[in-house]
Amino acid sequence: MMPGWKKEGKVLVTTSSATEAREIGNKIVVAGIAAIVLILAIAAVLLFINLPDANAFNMRVERLFVENDTLTGNAEIKLLEILAQSGTAFSDTLSSYRFVIFVLLVFATALLIAAVAFLVMLVALNRRMGKIERQGIEVNSLIISRDQKAVYLNNFEFKLTEAAIETLSVLAEARMDDEVLSGAEIEGVISGRNSTDCEEAAGATRIKRLRDTLGNQMVSELLVKNIARKGYMLAIDKDVIRMV
Amino acid sequence: MKHLSYTFMIFCMTAGAAQAECYADYKAKQDDPLRLHYGVTEVRDDCSIQSAEDQLRPALQRDGWQLLNVLGVFDDAGLEERRESAGDYFLRY
Repeated sequence: MMPGWKKEGKVLVTTSSATEAREIGNKIVVAGIAAIVLILAIAAVLLFINLPDANAFNMRVERLFVENDTLTGNAEIKLLEILAQSGTAFSDTLSSYRFVIFVLLVFATALLIAAVAFLVMLVALNRRMGKIERQGIEVNSLIISRDQKAVYLNNFEFKLTEAAIETLSVLAEARMDDEVLSGAEIEGVISGRNSTDCEEAAGATRIKRLRDTLGNQMVSELLVKNIARKGYMLAIDKDVIRMV
Repeated sequence: MKHLSYTFMIFCMTAGAAQAECYADYKAKQDDPLRLHYGVTEVRDDCSIQSAEDQLRPALQRDGWQLLNVLGVFDDAGLEERRESAGDYFLRY
């Protein structure tokens, strides 16, 4: 018994530290995404600042024209003009490059953000998987089928008696309203009498019966399997068994 | 009287000639698309680069040209060698 209790205590401790780690993790994720956006924004701004503007070629040609006093011939001037025009044409190409680079930067940002998000999701999922593995059964869905007299926990179907179904339904309704029922109240709801007239023990008996039938079936489903006409076997991996 | 008017005429001619004998060559541009030209102009005021600039700037501005610089001033002697280079802009402004 003692090792079992210790184990449970350990599980609780790791759970609380896991939530703390998740909060820190969330902050890191937000900071990481912000950093990515910031870095790429700075890169984009630097890019746009450093790309030569459309007039750069014209200004060069103009300086050339002014600084060289001998460049006065008609043909030479025409040549300079052509030089400037081809430069302007090239600067048009440059501006289209600039747009392409900008689009690529946006893509890069989106992809990096997605990568970070997926990474974090993977880590969170791994953590959750580990928690579930250690916790044993975690109920993700509870379906009560009155006409089939059955309850479905996750994918397991358990047959219950009429009375056990009734008790479970009452408990389920109380849970949906976030209420805690005493034994007398349970008995009162099921029997239709005022709960002050009911005995605590009667409700407790109902709970005990529900636990017995459900617990029995769960253990036989999850742990002690009954193989027809052969016998009984533990339904677990043999590697996980240890004797202390 | 006749002699006096004659001398006056000569004076006027020489004065006019002295004024007309100052020329300047300059460079100008137009933006979008870039166009350049080299031209020669006659300087009407005193024969200096400064006055040539002052005189050229508004004249060029009217046709959408922007003065880049004035290379220098010269007299009749330098006029012919620049005629071909200046082309359409020889004494236009």
